[in-house]
Amino acid sequence: MRRTLVIALTVLLLGVVASWLIPVQAQQPAAPPPWKQGQPAELASSPLAPVPQPPSPKAPGEILVDKIKVPTGFKVELWAHGINNARVMTWGSKGTLFVSSRVAGNVYAVVDKGGTREVKTIAKGLNLPNGVAFRDGVLYVAEIHRITKMVGIEDKLDAPPAMEVVYDTLPKDVPHGWKYLAFGPDGKLYFNIGAPCNICIPPDTHANISRVNPDGTGFEYFAHGVRNSVGFDWHPVTKELYFATHARDWLGEDLPSDRLDVAAKKGLHFGFPFCHQGDTPDPEFGKGRSCGEFATPLLKTGPHVAGNGVEFYTGSMFPAAYKNRIFLAQRGSWNRSQKIGFRVMMVTLNPGGAPTYEPFAEGWLQGGDIWGRPVYTRQMKDGSLLISDDYAGAIFRVTYQP
Amino acid sequence: MALAVAVLLAATAQVGRAGDVEAGRQKSALCAACHGPDGNATAPGVPSIAGQPNFFTHWQLIKYRDGRRKDAQMSAPAQNLSDTDMADLAAFYEAQRPRPRGSKTEPARVAEGRRLAALHHCTSCHRPDLSGQQQVPRLAGQDLDYLLKLLRSFKAKTATDLDGLMTMSAQPLHDEDIVNLVHFLASLGAETP
Repeated sequence: MRRTLVIALTVLLLGVVASWLIPVQAQQPAAPPPWKQGQPAELASSPLAPVPQPPSPKAPGEILVDKIKVPTGFKVELWAHGINNARVMTWGSKGTLFVSSRVAGNVYAVVDKGGTREVKTIAKGLNLPNGVAFRDGVLYVAEIHRITKMVGIEDKLDAPPAMEVVYDTLPKDVPHGWKYLAFGPDGKLYFNIGAPCNICIPPDTHANISRVNPDGTGFEYFAHGVRNSVGFDWHPVTKELYFATHARDWLGEDLPSDRLDVAAKKGLHFGFPFCHQGDTPDPEFGKGRSCGEFATPLLKTGPHVAGNGVEFYTGSMFPAAYKNRIFLAQRGSWNRSQKIGFRVMMVTLNPGGAPTYEPFAEGWLQGGDIWGRPVYTRQMKDGSLLISDDYAGAIFRVTYQP
Repeated sequence: MALAVAVLLAATAQVGRAGDVEAGRQKSALCAACHGPDGNATAPGVPSIAGQPNFFTHWQLIKYRDGRRKDAQMSAPAQNLSDTDMADLAAFYEAQRPRPRGSKTEPARVAEGRRLAALHHCTSCHRPDLSGQQQVPRLAGQDLDYLLKLLRSFKAKTATDLDGLMTMSAQPLHDEDIVNLVHFLASLGAETP
């Protein structure tokens, strides 16, 4: 409650209509909805707002797969559709692709039947179940407030087992509360606990990447000052954690940049809410702090691009130069009048130098209109790459033939 | 190329088809019993759904079907709806003209509610005229008893919305604020200016 009051008063100080001040002192106003926090008074009538999630997936005829451009030699096909709000993809050990959703509340199993794909809903009515990870026959699902598991799920897709709680000592805040979930090289489950706001001093329990053992023991914070990271992966050789972060809104068309970071060890602080993109103090919360206190980004990935999926390419289908490149799926902007993102970028790490950063797949944005939003990638066993699209409710497959 | 690879499964063959207003009308007989033939309800406590944004109605039906929103009247019938049914019904009700419910409101409460609606940022998502948009419902002219019950449920954290914003927004409200707010909302004309 005190936190709410602090946020609310801060907003007032930022210059929301002065005539409100007198009645407000007598009663606690609500903070504005999180997406509107930090909006300067002069932009109060801005038409910019988050893109609404359609309630149903697009029909194949509305999915403009031919518009997706990839480098020469690569080909894109529509691999599966009708998966409402399709988000994170993870492989079972017997060839099942498990797919999460966010606001749709579902977890799906996609079974490849050699040229045909069957989609089964294995859980529904969940609390924004964005995170799915699989190991040793067990599917782990991260909702906002808990991590659960479904043991032996791959043999019971038509009669899924109960969801057993693994860990549920988690904040219940919905804003930035949905989680990415993945096994680290240490065998622990890693997930984000995002800041419950656009910009605020978050509670000590938020704005981090955390980890817990798969049996629910040993919870600890791994990285701090992370506004919201809903995509990460570990370098195949160095085993270091690479993660994407969405930066705050309402500082302008081109500020601040989203970022790609590397956390070589536990305990680093990545700047939120004091410093953005490694070099730009927050106009309010950066006072009295220095960007020099915090870890700097490996790469500024662009303003408002909304980088989600982070995945190192380890397959053998793509050209040799693709080995250990990072695919970064960008769901795309809302807080920018010129839309940006809506593409899959690739990052080539150059030892001793700046990474190379270039498009891999783009075309979801046509002029000012979007028909889909690429959100995560997942390699197939044969080295081809799946791309999920939560707006179209579809999964694309990218192949390469020299 | 896309269609050559796309797989149409029986269960999902009709996903994504845009809702059909006429099909929705034909499927609305059961709904009409409480919500009225054109989505304008008359019984106190029952919401009007005429003129509600398509996405809002569709998402609510999904939530009733999946148990994320529960109601003695709505939970059971929602179980039988296909995705296409939901899309058709949502399209039908969006196309209907909302009428004010004529709930009895008190001018002093309306005036205070108007101030509270701005203070608590209701208009940020529900639009300045409270007509709703996308997944956010129309509130203008809605039934007073329904609004009162729902807003109190958000305050009590027993109601859920798609993204948690209403639960957050209701927490600073005292019950007196809730009463004033719903008097204001119910007093508004249902027509979008």
